Formats: sequence, C-alpha cells, structure tokens
Amino acid sequence: MERMAQPRNLIEVAQYLLALWREEGTLRFLRIALDLGHRKSIAGRMWFWGLVVGLASLAFVSYMLITEGGAAFNTSSDGVNWGMAISTYVFFALTSSGLTFIASLPMVFGFREFYPIAKRCLWLAIITLGAGFSVLALELGHPFRMLWVMPANLQYLSPMFWMGVFYLIDLVLLLVKFDRLWHDDWDSPLSQALAVGSFVAVLLASGMLGLVFGSMVMRPMWYGSFTAVFFILTAALSGAAAIVLAVYFAYGFRQEAMPEPLRSMASGAALPKVFATLIGIALVSVVLRMWTGLWSNLDGLEGFHDMARSPAFHVELWLGLALPFALMLAPRTQRSARWQITASALVLLGLFIERYEFLIRGQVVPMFKGAWASGLTVYTPSATEWAMTVLGFAIVFAFYGLGEKLFDLSAVPPSERLAGAAPRPAVQP
Amino acid sequence: MPKWGMVIDLEKCTGCQACTVACGMENSRLPGENWQDVVFFTEGEYPSVQVKWFPRPCMHCENPSCVHVCPTRATYKTEEGFVLVDWNKCIGCKYCMIACPYGVRFYTDEKPLNPPDPRKVFRSGDAHSWNPPWKAPQEDWKHGVGIQPRGVVSKCTFCYHRVSKAPKGVADLSEHDPRTRDYTPACVVACPPTARYFGDLDNPESEVSKLIANKRGVRLLDHLGNKPQVYYLAGEGGAVPSNRAIKNS
Repeated sequence: MERMAQPRNLIEVAQYLLALWREEGTLRFLRIALDLGHRKSIAGRMWFWGLVVGLASLAFVSYMLITEGGAAFNTSSDGVNWGMAISTYVFFALTSSGLTFIASLPMVFGFREFYPIAKRCLWLAIITLGAGFSVLALELGHPFRMLWVMPANLQYLSPMFWMGVFYLIDLVLLLVKFDRLWHDDWDSPLSQALAVGSFVAVLLASGMLGLVFGSMVMRPMWYGSFTAVFFILTAALSGAAAIVLAVYFAYGFRQEAMPEPLRSMASGAALPKVFATLIGIALVSVVLRMWTGLWSNLDGLEGFHDMARSPAFHVELWLGLALPFALMLAPRTQRSARWQITASALVLLGLFIERYEFLIRGQVVPMFKGAWASGLTVYTPSATEWAMTVLGFAIVFAFYGLGEKLFDLSAVPPSERLAGAAPRPAVQP
Repeated sequence: MPKWGMVIDLEKCTGCQACTVACGMENSRLPGENWQDVVFFTEGEYPSVQVKWFPRPCMHCENPSCVHVCPTRATYKTEEGFVLVDWNKCIGCKYCMIACPYGVRFYTDEKPLNPPDPRKVFRSGDAHSWNPPWKAPQEDWKHGVGIQPRGVVSKCTFCYHRVSKAPKGVADLSEHDPRTRDYTPACVVACPPTARYFGDLDNPESEVSKLIANKRGVRLLDHLGNKPQVYYLAGEGGAVPSNRAIKNS
C-alpha cells in the first residue's frame, strides 16, 4: 500500500481503495484491508483485533438491548441511575479533552518540543471522543431523537445541554484542525485560530461535563465548582497518559523504533516533568476531595466512607497515582521506556477507576432512608455494561491502528523538520 | 389560574397504601413503578425504636430541578403547577432522576421488581412498553399520561387527566363533593382516612391553604430549595424525614 502513505483527502483514499480492490480481487482485498497492508504490522494488528473485539462486543450489546432493553443494565430507579456506561463515557470524553490540552502545548502555547506528538494527540482526541459518544448513545433511551429535540428546544439552563454543545463544537474543530494538519497546514492564520478555538471549546466542554455533576446540590458528593476544576485537571492527566502509552504502542514499546523527534522527546527531560506534575496535581485533588468527604458530617457524604473501604479506590490511589508519581520523579526510572509505559498504563487504569468511583459512589447514598433503601445501594455492572466498555476501548484501538496507517501521525511542521532530522513514516507498509 | 397542591396529614395516614394501589390502577403502572409510594422507615434504636411512614408522590416543585436539567425540555412545568414529562421529547438520559431530590422518577426499561417481567408476559405490539390486560383508557403522551413507550422516564402527574378538566375557579378538589370527585387525583379519592387534600395553593380560602397555615404544613427536604407543592402535616404523631441519614443518629 505504498501509494497510501500520504493520501491528501478522503476522496483519494476511496479512489485508491477502489483501484486496489480491482487489482487484487475481493478476497485478497479484504485480507489486505483487515491487515492494513500487504504485510503484517503493529497498526494492522491493532485494527484487526480492535475490529474483531469491537464487532463481537457490539453484537452482544445489540442483542441484549433488542431482547432486554435497558433491563440489561444493573441500574435502577431506586438506586444507581447512571451506571458504568456513563463512567466509561466520562473517561473517554475527559481523555479526549486531555489529549487536546496536550496538543495545545505546541499549537497554542508555543512549547515546540511537543510538536512531534501534536498530530497524534488530535487523532486520538477524535477517536476517544467518538468512542465515548458511541457508548453514551447505546446507553440512552432514544439517542437519535436527541439529534433534533435538543436543538429544537434549547434548554439553556441544563448543564447537559451545554456539555453537548461544547463537545459538539470541540469535535467539529478537532476534525477541521486535523484536516488542516493532514494538508500540512500547521501555522496559517486559520490553523492557529482553529487551535485556539479548539482549546477554548475543550476547556468549556470538560468543565461543563464537571458541572453536569457539580451543579447537583441534592448529590453532595458531586456538588461544587471544584468538580469542574477537578475534571479539567484530571482530564489533562488522562490525555498525557494516553499519548505516552499510544506512542509506545505504535512503535512496539521501543524508543529505538521511533523517528528522531519523538525519540528525543521520549528520552528527554520535559516529558517526565510534565507527566509527574500532572499526576501530582491529580493525586492532591483526589486526596483533598477524600479528606473533606470523610471529615464532614453532611448528610449524603457517607459514600466517601464506602469509597475508602473499596479495594478499587486503593488500587487507583496507590497503584494508579502514587506509584506512577514516584516513578516519574525518580531519576533512575523517569526516562526509561519500561517505566514510562508502566506509569502511563497505571495512570489510565487509575483514572478509569476514578471515573467509576466518582459516578457510582455519588449515587449509592439513597435520597432518604425508607422502605426501598435502608442502607447504601449496591451496584455491580452487568455483562452488557462491561461489553459496552470493551466496545469503547476496541473502537479506540481499531481506529488508532487505522490512523497510524492512513495518516502520518508523527508529522511535524516544516520549520521543525529543518531544525531536526526528517521524520519518517511511523509504520512501514 | 390555580396552583394545584396537595396536603397529606400524617396524623391521619395509616400507611395502608390504598393510594399506591389506586395510583397503579388509574395510571396503569408496572409492579414497583410506584408513582405514589408509601415509604416506611424506622426512628431510634431498640428498645425505643419506632416504625414510621410517609406517602411520597411527586412534589410538583415550584422550583423543579428536574425541569432545569432536562436537556430537551421534555420535563416541563405548566402554569397550573403540574410538573410533567412529554414522552415524545424524552431521550431517556435520566438526568432528571439524578436531579430529583425525592426519588420519584422511574425509568421504563429496568429489571422487573420480581420475575416474570410483566412487559414480556403482556408484550406490546406497538410503541407502548407493555400491554396489560386491563388498562385505564386515557392516553396523552405529551403530558406523560397512560402507558409510556420504552426508553423514557415517567412520574406522577397529579392525575393531570382528571385535574386539568376541573371546573374553573374551584378552590378544592374533594372526593366528598360530587361536583369535583371525578376531577380529584386517584390517590386522594382512594385514601380511606381522608388524609389527603387537594386544592389551589394560591387561594387563601382553599382547604389546603388553611391546613398549611393552621397546622404548620412542612415540605420535604425544604433546605434544597425546590419548594414542593406537596405539604405534610406532621402534628404530634407523624414524621417527615428531615434528611436521608443512613447513619444511626
């Protein structure tokens, strides 16, 4: 697939695929399409297995939703209304926001050393947001009705309405900005305006997602403006962890396989510093929230005691945040590929648990005691809810592999190419 | 324009749950989907423990958080004070259930309270979520009346289909007055000890206004600011849980 190394637009991609199909015949074409090339590659394997796992999960979820409907979820009107599907959506949406924050470092704030990951961040931001929206759509009662009824009624008082508006703007700007980079337009006035607009939109979107929860005075575990700040700060961390892991994933977990600008970035001093700072901020935020929750006598905060007893929370706190923080601070481990990979994987695990714990523990305290709720509500995700989460990750894997193959995700602006060594395509066909 | 509200006298309420049954019949509810529930709870510890109860319809709040959070305006408040759900607009996001401090909203598609699932036993061949062998004739999806479709949220309507047809200018809707009986909410009509009163909160001459003023009517979780239009008379023997404490206190 040599000719696909640098397609300039989707029409060119379609034309190439058509020509390839005629040349190779249907069966060979399908095989090439599933492997993303004549030879096997890391990107091809991600695409293939992402597709297989994603389609299997989608088939299972679809079957359950058709036969059981929402009864396939373990949520209930008397207890936990929003289950694991929503926490998965929050995880992906905030990871997408964080990736856009990281992409803004070079594109808005002029930290040029981060240029080698900018385009990759944008692609990942698009697909993680897409994965989040997909999981959310499967959870909603009427996802398609939303498309017309929300713009037709404009409930400007609803935090969820504004979350939708800002994430939609965010997605559109991400797509347009990625298209500009695809055409090697890094610093035209339009591209710069898009970068600034995208940064503002994603700040508002992730903050508004925080306010979906933070505005709920009747849910004291979520209530307060700190929730929006907490979401923005931890979003930045999940974006950082995702891009570190994604870069290593694409190059077989080896720094040596990376093109020069990326390699020097991965082994340089800036990456662990930024990473450690973001982990530290998240760690402090989680501990502060826990402190006030455990200390206060306010009715409804008993969920924090429940959280303190939960093994998952301790995995998040110690393995998902404290250990990576130490790894990225220690001079012996902070620049090592192995420990950077470990730290980013642990952080992503920790933040996935954080979103889940935040969402579920915020609902386990019943609105008031009574016949249907004498104590804390017990909730365990159903197989369908797990499958929806798996589907979200499969979408990200598959489309990351596809993006790796279709677009030169390690591309840098022409000015950076002159300054450093020329980048080469990330994955050879 | 009346502002309909309800008063529940907890000194009279016996916890018989006739209101729950009447509501279920009137509104064709699924088992467990109790728009009008009676919540039993305990106060104190052994040996001085007491069993208490209080009936819990939708509060039809003056300042309803469910209305403010609904991203599609499917949940709305009418000028007469009803808080209703338009099932043609509801997308089933359940944000209103999150935002309701009283837990009086129900999502249609959930695990059944007890097997077998009535929705599977009495399957619907059309857009309705189920097709029970007997159901009340009224249906008005714009106002959340009747059997709902799948994937939406439902709640007590204050029997909108009855109350909205009441003669203009009446201060009270009472089951004891033949002129208003048919327009009175089913839970009020069915209440054996007449613990429920329904009328115009804006009319100082209405029975509900007088009871609230003379017997110190209180509202549930009033500190949250939703300002329910359902008042409780606690008197000497009744109890309104002022909080949702699950701690022993």
